[in-house]
Formats: sequence, C-alpha cells, structure tokens
Amino acid sequence: MRNSIKIIVLGLIFLTSCKEKDKLEPEEEIIGNYVNIEVQPVYDTEDLYLDSVYTTQEGYKIKFTDIKFYMEDIKNVSTQFSDAGLFDYRTRGTLLSRVQGKGSNYMNLSANIGVGPAVNHNDPSAFPNSSMLNIINANDMHWNWSPGYIFLKIEGKADTIPDATTSLNHTIVYHAGLDVNLQTISFTNITWNKVGNEETFRLKLDMAKFLNGTQTIDVKDEFSTHSMGGQEALTLKIMENFKEALEPY
Amino acid sequence: MKYLLLIFVGFVFFFSCKKDKVGYEPTPYQLEIPSHFPAMQIPEDNPMTVEGVELGRFLFYETKLSGDNSMSCATCHAPSSAFSDPNQFSTGIEGIEGRRNSMALINLGWNDFFFWDGRAKTLEEQILLPVKDPIEMHETWPRAMSKLNGDVDYRNRFYKAFGTDKADSSHAAKAIAQFLRTMISGKSKFDVMYKFENNIPLSASEQAIYSSITASEWGGYDLFRSLNGADCFHCHNGPLMQVKKFSNNGLDATFTDLGRGEVTGNSNDNGKFKVPTLRNIEFSAPYMHDGRFSTLDDVINHYSHFIQISPTIDPLIEFAGQGGVQLDAQEKDLIKQFLLTLSDEEFINNPAFKAP
Ligand code: HEC
Ligand code: HEC
Repeated sequence: MRNSIKIIVLGLIFLTSCKEKDKLEPEEEIIGNYVNIEVQPVYDTEDLYLDSVYTTQEGYKIKFTDIKFYMEDIKNVSTQFSDAGLFDYRTRGTLLSRVQGKGSNYMNLSANIGVGPAVNHNDPSAFPNSSMLNIINANDMHWNWSPGYIFLKIEGKADTIPDATTSLNHTIVYHAGLDVNLQTISFTNITWNKVGNEETFRLKLDMAKFLNGTQTIDVKDEFSTHSMGGQEALTLKIMENFKEALEPY
Repeated sequence: MKYLLLIFVGFVFFFSCKKDKVGYEPTPYQLEIPSHFPAMQIPEDNPMTVEGVELGRFLFYETKLSGDNSMSCATCHAPSSAFSDPNQFSTGIEGIEGRRNSMALINLGWNDFFFWDGRAKTLEEQILLPVKDPIEMHETWPRAMSKLNGDVDYRNRFYKAFGTDKADSSHAAKAIAQFLRTMISGKSKFDVMYKFENNIPLSASEQAIYSSITASEWGGYDLFRSLNGADCFHCHNGPLMQVKKFSNNGLDATFTDLGRGEVTGNSNDNGKFKVPTLRNIEFSAPYMHDGRFSTLDDVINHYSHFIQISPTIDPLIEFAGQGGVQLDAQEKDLIKQFLLTLSDEEFINNPAFKAP
C-alpha cells in the first residue's frame, strides 16, 4: 500500500512536471548590441528630402526622386561588418547597414562603393535571403544579365531654364555600375554614438557636393548614364563625385 | 489495488508528455522553388503544411465566403486567365462594378505589398479584404466562418491544418495564403533564356526548350532591355519580371484614380501603381490597373507613342518627352513575341491550383 502511494505520488509529479516545463519555460530574450551605419542625405547645409526642390550652382531647379547605392564588403581589416549594405532613401530611410556587434570592433572600416568583381557576376538568387545582394533585396539594383549590380542610382527631375516658372520636366537618370567604375572608401578612428544597445556611425551624403565637387556635373547636358558604351566618362565622374560627397557626419 | 495501480501507471504513460491535441499532426509542405529564384520568406506564424495548402485551395474556390453563396475568389481570379479576370472590371455579388482590374496571382510569396496601390502589407492581411468588401463578396467573416464551421468536412480540415475546432477568419486567411504561396510560375521559355544569360546550368529538358527559342524571341528580349530600344527592363526585371516599386508609367496626364497617393496622402505618389509581373501576360488581359488595354498590341503602342506627361511620371520612362520609345512595326512584333515567352503552360494548367 505504501509503495502504491509512493508510485502514485511519483506518477503525479511526473505528470505535472512535463506540463510545467511546457508552460513555465521562460521566454529567453537575447538582448544584443547592434551597430548601425546611417547615411543622411543633405543639400549643402540642410537635410535633403526626396521630391523637394533645390537650386544648383548654375541656378537650375532640381529634385531627387531616388537615391540608392551599394556599399559592399564592409570590414575592419579581416573582421567583417557586413557582406553588403544597401541604401535606399525612399523605402529604407537613412539606414545603410545594421548588424549585431560592438562598435569597438570597428574603429576603422573599409568598403567598396558598388559591388566588387568577386561577387558582382554571381547568380543574384544564390545569396542568402538576409543578404542585400539577394535579388529580392537588390530589387531594381541588378541588371538582368552579366554586368551584375547597379552600384548607385540617382534619379530626379530638373528645370534647366532659369526663369521665373518652375517646370521640372528634364529627366535625370544616373545608373552607374561595371567593375571598372568600382570605388573604395575607408574611415578611420570612427566615433560610434551609443544610445542604449544601439551604436551608430553616421555619414552624410551631400548632393550639392555631388553635383559640384572637384568635378562638376552639369545636369543640363549630363543628365543620363546607364554605364553603356559612350557614357564611360560621365559614369566614372558620377562614381568619383559620389565618393567625395560621402563623409562622416 | 494492484489493478488500480497498473491502470494508473498506464494513464500516466499515456497522458504525461503527449501533444496537446490528438490527431493534429500537420505535414510540412515542401515548396518547389525554381533554382534561379531566391528562397521564399514564410511568416513564422504561418508555416506551410500540406493540410493548410489543401484547405486553402478549397477556400479559394468556396462560394460560401460570399454573401449570397455565389462568388469565390476564383470568380475574379480564374486559372485560365492567369488567376485574374478577363473582364475590365469585376462585378461583385450586388451587381456593382469595381473600379480596378483584377490582378494575376503569380509568385506572390515574393511580394512585399499587395493591390494596385499596395495597401495590404501581407497576404494574410490582404485575403481578409475581398470577403467583406461590399462591392466584391460582401459577407462578414463571422457569418462566412459560421457557414464553414457548420460543415463537418471543413471542421475536420481546419482541425487538421491548425489544430483548432474554433476556426476563425485568421485561420481561413492563413490557409488561403499558404495556397497562394504554392502558386509559383518559373517554367516558361523566358526562364530558360534568363538562366542561359546568367550562366545557370540548364537541365536536359531546358536544353531542349533552349534550342526551340527563335531568333525573334531573342531579338525581342534584347529590345526589351535595350536602352535605345523598348527600355522595359527598368521596371519589369529579374526572375519575377517585376521590381518592387510604385510607378507612374505615363497612362494619364491627370488622374481619376490616385493609386498609391490615395494610401499615403502624399501628392508625390499620385498616379503611381504597383509594378505588375509580366509573367503569363498572354493570359491576363485586359491590362493596367483599370484594364484599359484589351491587347498586348495596345500596351506596346502606349509605351511607343502615347505616353502622357505628369508631375509624377517615372524618370525611367525615359523617352516620355517624345511620347514614348517609338518602336516601329517590326520592333513591336519582336516585343510581343518576347512577351509571349513568359507564358508558363504548366502553371496555368497545374491541377494542384484548380478547383478541388
Ligand atoms: C469581385 C472580384 C474579386 C474577388 C471575388 C476577389 N478578388 Fe482579389 N482582386 C480583385 C481586384 C479588382 C483586385 C485589385 C484591387 C485593387 O488593387 O484595389 C484584386 C487583388 C487581389 C490580390 C493582390 C495581388 C497583387 O499582386 O497585389 C490578391 C492577393 C487577391 N486579390 C486575392 C484574392 C482572394 C484570396 C480572394 C478570395 C478571398 C479574392 N481576391 C477575391 C478582384 C477580386
Ligand atoms: C518606369 C517603369 C516602367 C517601364 C519602363 C515599363 N513599365 Fe510596364 N508597367 C509599369 C507599371 C507601373 C504598370 C502598371 C501601371 C498601371 O496599371 O497603372 C505597368 C504595366 C504593364 C503591363 C500590364 C500588366 C498588367 O498586368 O496589367 C504590361 C503588359 C507592361 N507594363 C509591359 C511593358 C513593356 C512591354 C514595357 C517596355 C516597352 C514596359 N512595360 C515598360 C511600369 C513600367
């Protein structure tokens, strides 16, 4: 009789223990530290907004409708930050790349502006879904055939007739790519701003400087490139000016 | 006493760590994703199961989801029309015509927003809308679900798919979403061309298709993505033959339907609509958000000569200033032949997508 009671008690414990386990297992939440690279587009001294109108040095009116670019192989010497970040001002805001980690591991960073030849011509469906190089994330930043990725895309409209009326009917399309136009960029002694579990490195992209850097882009005549034959000079200038326009904020 | 004890021990064994519900063991569903497609992101709270997909198929063709039991999703999304409606506007159960053309349901598992204006962010969310839309199926979900729950066959199906005997609209939406995610089209002639161009190995059967591709079809493909040709690829691109964006492709100078602008309230979005896929375009006439073009020739003529300028026109309609890309008769024919390579008979005729 005593044994029976023991068995019954044991049995009850066994019964309830399983249930308890199912219910009471604490929701484990991993609180990690994130590092972000952000890019704030500006026009000279003010924040730049898509679809807003700005005035160029030449007195043209200009609005940007899309600003997108790839920063690929972002790393601190041999420590990888991210395989690729994709900036898309309209749909993703100022975020370029966000990964788990600590800013102190990335006091220096180097990267490609564009996508380096090592991966530029791979099957864009073969990257993991989490990679910005996957065609689902690349979206319209990939040419459907061998040239590979579009490194940067700037689209907008301008009014190049400096008179009293503003009619933005002059289309601007810069689609730069191709291995020969790849640029590299590096940042040293990076200041990571820490708020809570988030550390952020902020860059600014000055579109006024993009148009009037060391070299000048005259949107009246230099309004379109798709990196095709005959457009080599403008394409390279677009890439070089863009690199110049991107600096720590 | 001993017997009692034995019975008790048996009882303990039987009930200790068993699953919550007897008989609820859904079978994981293996999606067949074409090798040149990216992986599909499945929502964590709606894993694909054989039972869920099958239930979704029943629901897609279920007229009980409408107010007068006359209309199902398939009424406006018919398989032979690439799961769209051959009518310019669909008429709901109250006899009222909608204002937009039904959309083809193809490869939706890779889409991030739904409807011509992108007002739904997930498939599960989208599916709830046509049922309660007064000019579509005009039925409340509680009534629709009580009709379904009154049917023992559906009760069993919901139980097998979701382990619940109190199925509600969220379960119905999940099941239909699972079904829609299986509707993958990736076996057209175009797919072989795409793979070839991207150096992806071809199987023996694809090799055979490859040798059947005509010079005009290749010519049309070249023209389609040529900047000085038809210039179509900026928006219809990649394995899905669509990019994820809202765009104004120059249909009107002033807008009667604000499209995306209606959702965001931002005038910079007026006249922009979801870029649709061009897969199976042969079957999904009429075309555009308002079904204004009844043939592909009309569409090609639009892009060639009749582009309308407006403040939000996409900069990538690059020859808008000249009214369009100015294709001549021969080039128009090439583009059309290319568009026909996007037909995927296996998709259109797949028995798994037809009425159960
Ligand atoms: C009365 C006709 C009608 C019925 C019935 C109907 N639809 Fe639709 N469907 C449409 C129309 C029209 C649109 C486009 C509406 C818009 O953009 O405002 C659409 C759009 C969609 C889309 C968006 C596709 C995309 O690419 O964004 C999905 C998904 C869809 N329907 C699924 C369903 C499902 C599931 C059902 C059944 C529960 C259903 N529809 C019932 C007419 C209908
Ligand atoms: C700037 C982006 C863009 C370009 C370039 C473009 N399209 Fe489109 N296309 C769209 C948009 C947006 C729609 C839907 C518009 C709407 O319904 O209001 C569309 C719709 C279509 C449709 C109708 C699809 C359907 O399901 O109703 C066809 C066919 C089509 N385009 C073919 C082409 C062809 C051929 C070319 C090249 C001559 C081309 N497109 C160039 C953006 C573009």
